[in-house]
Amino acid sequence: MATNPMQQFSVHRIGPEIKIAGIDLSFTNASLFMLLSALVICAVLYLGTKEKKLIPDKLQLISELFYNFIAKMISDTAGSKAKPYFPFIFSLFMFVLFCNMLGMLPYSFTVTSHIIVTLIMAVFIFIAVTIIGFLKHGFGYLKLFVPSGVPAVLLPLITVIEIISYLSRPVSLSVRLFANMMAGHTMLKVFGGFVISLGMLGGWLPLSFSVALTGLEILVAFLQAYVFAILTCIYLNDALNLHH
Amino acid sequence: MRLFLLIFGFLITSEVYLLAAEAGMPQLDPTYWASQGFWLILIFTLLYLALSKLFIPKIKNSIDDRENRIKDDLDEAQKLKEVAEAKLKEYEISIENAKKDVQKILFESKNKLNSEIQNKKKTFEKEIETEIENAEKEIESFKKDSLESISKISEEITSKIIENISGEPMNQSSVKATVQESVKKNIGKYL
Repeated sequence: MATNPMQQFSVHRIGPEIKIAGIDLSFTNASLFMLLSALVICAVLYLGTKEKKLIPDKLQLISELFYNFIAKMISDTAGSKAKPYFPFIFSLFMFVLFCNMLGMLPYSFTVTSHIIVTLIMAVFIFIAVTIIGFLKHGFGYLKLFVPSGVPAVLLPLITVIEIISYLSRPVSLSVRLFANMMAGHTMLKVFGGFVISLGMLGGWLPLSFSVALTGLEILVAFLQAYVFAILTCIYLNDALNLHH
Repeated sequence: MRLFLLIFGFLITSEVYLLAAEAGMPQLDPTYWASQGFWLILIFTLLYLALSKLFIPKIKNSIDDRENRIKDDLDEAQKLKEVAEAKLKEYEISIENAKKDVQKILFESKNKLNSEIQNKKKTFEKEIETEIENAEKEIESFKKDSLESISKISEEITSKIIENISGEPMNQSSVKATVQESVKKNIGKYL
């Protein structure tokens, strides 16, 4: 492998070049790991739901735990109105989680470490939430930018800040996930490189650090998936319940 | 603060975009952006369809089934508990009744026994009285008889003794009178 710690994020084509209307849509290693994540999710859930047992086995328990976890998260943050969006949030959480987790395997590729991937998801969520908000409340949805109980003097300023904060949601959502994944994987790579360059004598310290960092990264992988899903729920809550 | 950082970060990201792509941030190389977007949308849509149409209903079904089963079991347990309580009440009532019956039977039999005992006692007492009367009568007749025979025997003995002593028989009637007199005098001592 290359010594450049950013090398692990490079995307390269696998198989033939696919060009549609002059746009390169080739199957890449990023696509491969997206597909793998989706397949692993389906495999886990397939094995977990193959036999419906009264007393669940391990895989069934795992799928039911995921289900209950997301269901509770949605009902806690967005209330009962958000129930129709459960499959989307569930898919989103599972996809991000499994992409992050598969990225933890050595020599694998982390789909979510690419800003374009996280940005597309975040922009989709942003647009969807905005459309839902306007569909549910009409132009009343704009009240989201005018918080109640604010002195009239501050109101223009607050409104501007609220609008900017609302518009920066897709950026914050995508950059948070992308930056976390990229930084973590770069750090792992850098410390991995130190192990080699310091050799048998000095390499133990960065090695132990690398081991600890791997544990931390697994936690971050889960946490970022959770944060991504819960922020989606919170945005959805704004759109559905308009609680400002 | 967070907002500021975000905007700042966004500016920097777009500012360094051209530099970074050359400096080795493959994320900012737009060659495969379209491809990543295309495959992401395709794969995520397929995943969404698979999960929402196939797996989520299955999981929900299984969880619901379990909850229903637990609820049914609890309901049945409640029902059985109620039945058991009703049975217990019935049982207690029957025990109560049985106790009352026992009390009643005891009372009745006691009364019956008492009256029977009383009756038996009376009949026995009557029998005993008649027996005693008979015995007394017998004794009375015995007394009379024995008195007469004693007088006779005494007369005979007296006349024989007198005959033996004097050698000639005594006047029977005078002997009789004397004996009678002494018998009357002494008979009280023995009878």
